[in-house]
Amino acid sequence: MSAQAGAVELTGVTKRFGDAVAVDRLDLRIEPGEFIALLGPSGCGKTTTLRMIAGFEQPDEGEIRISGESVAGVPPHKRHVNTVFQNYALFPHMNVAENVAYGLQQTRTPKAEIRERVAEALDMVQMRAFADRKPSQMSGGQQQRVALARALVNRPSVLLLDEPLGALDRQLREEMQIELKLLQSRVGTTFVFVTHDQHEALSMGDRIAIMRGGKIEQLDTAAAVYAQPASAFVAGFVGQQNFLAGTARTDGVIESGPIRLRSERAGQHVAPGPVRAAIRPEYVSLAPVADLTAGAGHGTENTVVGRLASIAHLGETMQYVVEVDTGHETTSLLSRIPTPAAPNVHVDDEVVASWTPGCILVFSDPNAGPAIPPDLTTVPSTTPAHPPR
Amino acid sequence: MRAPRFLLAIPAWAWLAAFFVLPVATVVYFSFGYKPGIFGTHATDVLSLDRYREALSPTFFTTFTNTLRVGVLGTLLCLVIGIPMAYWMAVKVSPGKRAFLLALVIVPFWTNFLVRTIGWQVILAPEGWLSGMLQALGLRENPLAILYTRSAVLLGVVYNYLPLMILPLFVAFDRVGPAMREASKDLGANRWRTFTRVTLPMARPGIIAGILLVFIPLMGDYITATVLGGARGNMVGQLVASQFQAAQNWALGSAMAVLLIIVIAVTVLVGAAIAYVVTWPLSRARRLRLADLEGLPEKVR
Repeated sequence: MSAQAGAVELTGVTKRFGDAVAVDRLDLRIEPGEFIALLGPSGCGKTTTLRMIAGFEQPDEGEIRISGESVAGVPPHKRHVNTVFQNYALFPHMNVAENVAYGLQQTRTPKAEIRERVAEALDMVQMRAFADRKPSQMSGGQQQRVALARALVNRPSVLLLDEPLGALDRQLREEMQIELKLLQSRVGTTFVFVTHDQHEALSMGDRIAIMRGGKIEQLDTAAAVYAQPASAFVAGFVGQQNFLAGTARTDGVIESGPIRLRSERAGQHVAPGPVRAAIRPEYVSLAPVADLTAGAGHGTENTVVGRLASIAHLGETMQYVVEVDTGHETTSLLSRIPTPAAPNVHVDDEVVASWTPGCILVFSDPNAGPAIPPDLTTVPSTTPAHPPR
Repeated sequence: MRAPRFLLAIPAWAWLAAFFVLPVATVVYFSFGYKPGIFGTHATDVLSLDRYREALSPTFFTTFTNTLRVGVLGTLLCLVIGIPMAYWMAVKVSPGKRAFLLALVIVPFWTNFLVRTIGWQVILAPEGWLSGMLQALGLRENPLAILYTRSAVLLGVVYNYLPLMILPLFVAFDRVGPAMREASKDLGANRWRTFTRVTLPMARPGIIAGILLVFIPLMGDYITATVLGGARGNMVGQLVASQFQAAQNWALGSAMAVLLIIVIAVTVLVGAAIAYVVTWPLSRARRLRLADLEGLPEKVR
C-alpha cells in the first residue's frame, strides 16, 4: 500500500441539483487513518459530499481522489470505499452472516477465507452469536453493529458513515460513539462521518468540518472549533452562544443596550462599528444582586443586572435565563453553571450576570449570525416557569 | 369489553364460503352424477366416477395439453416481458412519470375483454391493415398468415394478461427501494449481481403473485384462444363451457372443471418444485450459518 492509501482529496468539487447548489467548490483533504466528521445543519451538503465520495453522485465540477487516484467516472462497486447507511440498509432476505459475507462474495474470495473474515468481523462488533438472525429479528443497535461489520469486513481504504447513530436512543448513541472511536483507532481505516449532532462530531472527530451552504466554514480539531470559531455560524453551531448585537467604540468597548462588553481575548481585533459579540453560556456566572460591589451594575463592563426568568436542572449543569431590560425590549442571557457550584438564586430574583473578558468573541459582520436553526440558537428551549411580567 | 378478534374476519369467511367453498363443492358433487335424459342437466341419485372416465377421452387429453402449453408459455412470456418493464417503471423512471405509465398499463382494462381480443383479430387478419402495411413496405410478399395459429393465441394472451403481471411486479420492485441497491453496489456488486442477488430475491412475493394472477385465469380462459386461435385454439375452458351450455351435460362439465382445478394445482406445485430445485444449488453455495463459523478462533484484538 502506498502512503496515500486511505487519503481522500476533494478539489473544487461542485454538485448541483437543478438550480440548487448542494456542494459549492468544496476543497477538503482527509489524511489516511483520520477520523473526520462532516458537521452541519440539514441541507448543508454533507450527505451529498459523502455520496460523491461513495460514487452514488458524480460531481458537476472538480475532482475527487481516493488513495491518490482520481475516481472520476468510477462506479460505486469499483471504489475501495464502503458505507454504513443511515438506516443500515441490511438485506432483509439474508441472515447476519450472509449480509457480512456479501461484499467478500463479490470479489470471489475463497470460501474458507470468507468464513474466517466474517467470524472476525462479527467478533469485532461482538455479534458472532447473532450470525443466524435476520435483520428484522434484531434491535436498531444490533443492526447498526452488523452494518459496521458488513462494511469493515471488506477492509476498505475509506469507511463512510452517514448519520449512522441517528436512529439510536441517546444512551446507546453515546456508547456507540465511544465504541466507534475505539474501533477506528484499532483498524486504522479512514473514517468519514456525517452528522448534524455537534456532540457526536466533537466526541469522535479527529478533525471536524463544519459545513454550511455547500461550503466548509471551518475545518479543525474539536478544541479549536470550540475555542476559536472562524465565524459566527460556527460559534453558534458548535456549542451554544449568547449573541449580542452592538456597536464597537473606538476604545474597544462594545455597547449593546445597557450592556458593556470589553473583550480581552488574545488576538481579537475589534474594529469600530457595528459588531456581534458572542459569549458561551458556560462562561456566564451569576450572583445575587446583594453581592454586588459598590459602583458595579449597569454601565460596568462585562457585568449586567437582570431578572432571573427561569432555572432548569440539566443534570451535571444548571441552566439559567436572565432577562435584561434594554429599555424598549428585553435581551435574554443564557448561563450554565456546574451543579455543585450553583449560586443561591431564585426565579424572579434580581441577579448579576458577569463573564470573563477573555472569552468574548467578536464578529465584525453584524448579520453574520445566528443564521442557524431556531432550536440551536441561544434562545433557551425551557420556557420560563411563569408568564412574563 | 373487547369484541372477539375473529369478528373482523367474518365478512371474509362468509364471502369465501358463499362464493368459493359452496360453488366448488357443488361442482365436485355434480361431477359424480350423470345426465338423466335429453332434457335433464344433471342427476345425483346414483354417484359414480363414470364422468371422469368419460372426461379423460383422447380429445380431452389433446385439449388439456394444448391448454397447459398456452398457460405455461403465456405465463413465462408475461414474466419475461413483465420483469424488465416493471423494473424500468419502478427503478429507472422518475416518480412523476410513473403514474402516467401505470395508467397506460391499466387503461386497456377499461374496454371489454372480448372487444379487445376481437380488435386483435381485425389487426392480424390476412386482409387486415397490419398485413397490408407489411406488404406495402415490402417486408412480406404474401398476406400475413398469423391469425388462427398458436402464435396469435400467445400474442393475445400476453396482451390480455401482461398488466396482471406488471402490476404486482412493479409494486414489488418499488418496495425494494434505492437504499438496498445502493448498499449492494457499495459492497462491490455490479448492476447485474445487484439485480440477481438483491432486487429479484426481495421481489419474490411479487413474482409469485404475478405468476399466479396470470396462470390461473389463463388456464380457464377460452375467449382469447377461440377468437385468435380458431379451431386450433381449443382450450379446456371451451370444452367445459360447451358441456354446460350446448350439451346441457352438467355432470360431465363438472368433472372436466374438477380435472382442470387439479391440473392447475399440480402445475403450480410442480412449478414451485422446479424453481426450488433450480435455485437450490445457488442458495446453498451462498448460505452461511453460525454453525459454519464455529471452531474459528476468536481473534484477540
